[in-house]
Amino acid sequence: MPPAIETVDLVKDYGELRALNELSLTVEEGEFFGLLGPNGAGKTTFINTLVGLVRKSGGKAQVFGYDVEADYQQARNAIGLAPQEFNVDRFFPIREVLMHKAGYHGIPEDEAGERADEVLKRVGIYDKRNERFDWLSGGMKRRLLLARALVTDPDLLILDEPTAGVDVQLRHDLWDLVTELNEEGTTILLTTHYIEEAERLCDRVAIMNEGHKVTVATPDDLKRRGTDTIEIRLESTSPAATTIESALGEYAHEVSTSGDQLEIRVDDGGSTVPQVLHDLEAAGHEIADLEISRTSLEEIFVDLTRQEDRSVTRSSASSASGSGGPDGDDVASEAAHGQTQEQEREHEHEHEQEREQEGVA
Amino acid sequence: MLSVGFRALFKRELLRFIRRPKNTFMPPAITNVLYFAVFGMILGGRIDSPVEDVAGVDFGYILFLIPGLVVLGTISNAFENASFSIFHGRWNEYIHETLTSPLSYVEMVVAYVSASAVRGLIVGIIIAVIGRLFVPISIENGLFLVATMVVIAALFAGLGIIGGLVARDFDDLTVMNQFILRPLVFFGAVFYSLTMLEPIWQAVSLLNPMVYMVDSVRYGLLGYSDMFEVAPAAYAEFVPLASLGVLTLLTVVVLTIDVYLFKIGYGLTD
Repeated sequence: MPPAIETVDLVKDYGELRALNELSLTVEEGEFFGLLGPNGAGKTTFINTLVGLVRKSGGKAQVFGYDVEADYQQARNAIGLAPQEFNVDRFFPIREVLMHKAGYHGIPEDEAGERADEVLKRVGIYDKRNERFDWLSGGMKRRLLLARALVTDPDLLILDEPTAGVDVQLRHDLWDLVTELNEEGTTILLTTHYIEEAERLCDRVAIMNEGHKVTVATPDDLKRRGTDTIEIRLESTSPAATTIESALGEYAHEVSTSGDQLEIRVDDGGSTVPQVLHDLEAAGHEIADLEISRTSLEEIFVDLTRQEDRSVTRSSASSASGSGGPDGDDVASEAAHGQTQEQEREHEHEHEQEREQEGVA
Repeated sequence: MLSVGFRALFKRELLRFIRRPKNTFMPPAITNVLYFAVFGMILGGRIDSPVEDVAGVDFGYILFLIPGLVVLGTISNAFENASFSIFHGRWNEYIHETLTSPLSYVEMVVAYVSASAVRGLIVGIIIAVIGRLFVPISIENGLFLVATMVVIAALFAGLGIIGGLVARDFDDLTVMNQFILRPLVFFGAVFYSLTMLEPIWQAVSLLNPMVYMVDSVRYGLLGYSDMFEVAPAAYAEFVPLASLGVLTLLTVVVLTIDVYLFKIGYGLTD
């Protein structure tokens, strides 16, 4: 079987801004794959390229072996997308919205109705089936996006920041649901800002930054790449850091002292501790207490994506996006639209008012 | 062509306007009742038919008005429906539901166009029925009338798709309908006959494509065409059929452009 997703040297340019920079990525069938990256990393652009909402500038992108442009019908039929933005048909009750979506994917009307009921029950908003989207709460809207992605029974489920801005209960409900779906065989591509989410759910994660792939690994592999901190309390006041450093081997990347406290940065805290204890005791230090702080995936993420020389454009775009809160969007898309989401929302609000006044055409 | 997906999108598009008659069918119905009442009954009684002297037939002004008003209502609504549906979907981004589906670009365009054309035709029929309440009508060339109405409804639905794709805000849609479409129709011999114009203005009017649409529908409905009077006698009788042929060709060209725009994602994708 071909991979669920395979991209080779995928490029997307918005004018002079390169949103995807020769991105090569493979997601195997049945995998739970995470896509991590700061705002503007190109995650949403990548997803939108797969579903046909962005036209690539170069490279290759396939879904289950189908080219996303040449074989766009087969590729899109395999995908269920729960996007970051609320892009739901406002004219119809949500059950009908789901039936329409199922219909577009070739599912006959009777079956579409059954599927709509089924997925609404599955995400827990069946009792709201006759409501329109605008009348749902934020959490229910998020659930509906997932229901819409599921109603076509996709082989590849793409979740773009599915838990952004939702409460803890809903987040856990969504985690349980997508885990269940993955266990049933659905390939899942998840983008998220929540490192805990990726760590908890994903088989593998790719870290993206400025349109290119920084690394792909399992969450555990990534964590092993980070440095741990061994915190030690000595029986007596610690000598200077340089004295301690000279007592330890090269495995100690950094040493700091404060009173009777020592902090030593090492690669793998668990396996290095015996050596540290041995070396300190050999140097005449008595140890009263010891604790290892493991590197969080979040710290590794920050390390990997830190760019001290970001361009002015990208930095300012990121901060504009960041002002939108956890729903921060793809910088590239914003650049393409020429305005921030916040501005769009303002315009949309103005026009909603206009439409109320003018009536619906 | 009539795949499940196509039928689902076509039905969605139909339901969108059918469930909102107050927004979609009532306004043109009321407007045309006013047109017929004021121009037909109140003023029309004092206006000689613009064609009776030259054609030797006494239609009465109200009957002369009906084809033009039918065309005006049909093309305005076909255009408005398509442009609004596409632009509103773009604005709120729910058109992504369609764009991320396995529907082919041809199916998408044909579903949007045919649903919008249906709305235009329903409005055209409503206007004809209202006209019938004011004056008896007998259809002279039924098949020609139906063919012409279907073609012009599809043509303007197709143009509406382009309008919906190029519009950047709702004001653009208003501009297209009020400042481009309506003036062309009003100067398309809806309210007057070309025979009433000086030769120079007749010649200018013949550059307006709306003239041929209004004239073709008038020919289909009443059996009278201004072209019989203003076109060279040698081929005057072929003008209605030629108009239908050109309009059909134009419709095919516009729909092809629609499909191309969907394919390249113009106004739809980044």
